[in-house]
Amino acid sequence: MAQAKKKTAAKKAAAKKTATRSTKKSVVKKSATKKVAAKSTKKSVVKKSAAKKVAAKSTKKSVVKKPAAKKVAAKARKAPRTVAKKGASNKGPSNATLKAMHLKMLRIRRFEERAGKLMEDGKVPGALHLYVGQEAVASGVMQHLSNEDWITSTHRGHGHLVAKGGEFKPMFAELFGRSTGYCNGKGGSMHISNMDLGMLGANGIVGGGPPIAMGAAFSNQFKGNKNVSIAFFGDGASNEGSVHEAANMAALYKLPCVFVCENNGYGEYTPQADHQAIVDVADRASGYGMPGVICDGMDVMAVYEAAGEAIERARSGGGPTLLECKTYRYYDHVGIRGMGLTYRTDEEVEAWKKKDAINSFEKRLIQLGVMSRKQLDALDAAIGEELEEAIQYASDSPYPTPDQLLEDVYYVKGA
Amino acid sequence: MTVQTIGIVANPASGKDVRRLVARASVFDNREKCAIIRRALSGAINAGGYKFAFLDDSHNIAGGALLELGEDCEAERVPSLGTSSVLDTIQGARNLKEINPIATLILGGDGTSRAFVKGWRDSVLLPLSTGTNNVFPRMSEATVAGAALGVLAAGGVSLEEVAVPVKIIDVEIEGESPDLALIDAVVTRDKFIGSRALLDGDMINRILLTRAEPTAVGMTAVGGLIRPTPEDEDAGLHLTLGRTGKHQVHAPIAPGLYETLNVHKAEVTPFGKVVEFKGPCVLAFDGEREREIQVGQTVRMRVSRTGPSVLDVDKTMHLAASRKVFN
Repeated sequence: MAQAKKKTAAKKAAAKKTATRSTKKSVVKKSATKKVAAKSTKKSVVKKSAAKKVAAKSTKKSVVKKPAAKKVAAKARKAPRTVAKKGASNKGPSNATLKAMHLKMLRIRRFEERAGKLMEDGKVPGALHLYVGQEAVASGVMQHLSNEDWITSTHRGHGHLVAKGGEFKPMFAELFGRSTGYCNGKGGSMHISNMDLGMLGANGIVGGGPPIAMGAAFSNQFKGNKNVSIAFFGDGASNEGSVHEAANMAALYKLPCVFVCENNGYGEYTPQADHQAIVDVADRASGYGMPGVICDGMDVMAVYEAAGEAIERARSGGGPTLLECKTYRYYDHVGIRGMGLTYRTDEEVEAWKKKDAINSFEKRLIQLGVMSRKQLDALDAAIGEELEEAIQYASDSPYPTPDQLLEDVYYVKGA
Repeated sequence: MTVQTIGIVANPASGKDVRRLVARASVFDNREKCAIIRRALSGAINAGGYKFAFLDDSHNIAGGALLELGEDCEAERVPSLGTSSVLDTIQGARNLKEINPIATLILGGDGTSRAFVKGWRDSVLLPLSTGTNNVFPRMSEATVAGAALGVLAAGGVSLEEVAVPVKIIDVEIEGESPDLALIDAVVTRDKFIGSRALLDGDMINRILLTRAEPTAVGMTAVGGLIRPTPEDEDAGLHLTLGRTGKHQVHAPIAPGLYETLNVHKAEVTPFGKVVEFKGPCVLAFDGEREREIQVGQTVRMRVSRTGPSVLDVDKTMHLAASRKVFN
């Protein structure tokens, strides 16, 4: 017994040393990364300052008075990762972490609701695949990540970018096809990305993200840093060969990658029972040679805890995990009302809405005294104001010009 | 002698939670669960049982297994709510009670048996393990467990001979519906139910056990390593934990996961003695965080032997052998 205790103490001391060492290392690397980033993004800096001018013009009025709640929202958004390390505290996640996750969820919900309405009003070109209902997954996972960690998203990717720190203005500008967007208006909803935030892109190809995330994980392992990559995909994508291949390779090389399956029960309009013979995608994990875990994707704390374990395992060299989050999208495959297909019942949708992640989390935050109803309402109002400002900004922004057609894209010269 | 019906319940969700990652627990896929049921059915049929009533689980585990048997048996499908949650098992137990099988095979962890008992308290169970931290269901080969059920259903032994009532913890929560636990009720400093698993010993305030077993894994081991309390002892064990403690126990709180817990006090709790405390806290039952308790909300817990009965497989098969049931 005494021996066992001694061993535990020795392990803890060793872990402390390792942690100190790795922190030192990462500080050095970060500054190196910053230099590289500064070199490679000179162009975008110029563009950003142009964008700032446009923003300043269009938002002169709103600069005058910034409501307190808005300041709180902005501060929380810019706050660094506040992950409660296991053993660091015996009280679970801090109030700051809880507030940050709530803010992520609420920002996603309001962004998507507004974007959906704009699409249905014909003000956004193309189709939007909305993330409403699934907010707990992106928020619970992203709470453990920094900008140095990579993610790959899906065609339903706005929520992932918002949770990763995406700002409303360049997001709406991208959706509107304007030059001030994250991809200078050339990516749109399904290809939105931002390297500074570690967002490798939404993806119009179902199952297209996991091989990219696996490649990013390979580069992290090759470079010897402690960064991880997360592949978000759905139950439909889990049948694609690209997902199997990525999972196989990640397990083979013990890559720092977490495969997050957002199982919302439908591959576009096809119920899961009609596209695969299993109900739990996590069952496939043992076939890849990695652990498979299921968690309640409608409970941000369940996602936060499960993702935390999987991400920590990946960071510390334990290899990949398949994390399946059981969740549900409230809106149609495309837009809010979609094409009016009857592939699911209103009763089913309403039953899932009763488990709404934001409502239940807000209720608990109030019970715990972390936030009051008044504070929650003020935050919501501030997000609403920020959205309208961003929409105005996007509307006022210019389209890319024809001479920019071949910038920021891969093409064969002369072809 | 009329052959009685055997109940079958399989929990599709067991064996897949976060403990796969942190506690080196095994992954238990649903195909394996289906295979276990097939083996149990084979045992039951070869022992003379052929009537089954199965809970219609969302993954069709039991239904799929029975389908293969074809005309060898009579099978009745018992509807569940179809919510893919614990409510399916609770309501399914209530529905199964109306058919009144002589005993029910439960495939899952402690939590699955607990959910079943919430729906049908005075049931007769044969719990088989699939999950982790299992104390209530024992590891047993399904073929033999099924055979024991078959012997019972065909009248080779009587319930009085082979079914033993077990201890239970009743939990009263001020202003809310009551709850129960079969092995352990744990009070934690957590703020949320979250991923449900109990993975941090530092968060635990107190543990009330129906049995404390040094040979098991989970909260029962914490008590078992201080003061073993077997199932047949008419008392529970109440542990209070703190920053410092009289006992420093290095115990496996989950498979492969040892933690050192400071146990301030370990008291034998006679039947009927009430353990009372107030929130805020989170209550975990049989290894899973289940209820969030508000500030000032009162909780009362007590141990008694008013739980379900559990079929003794060893005793059943020894009696069957002595009575030459298979000869």
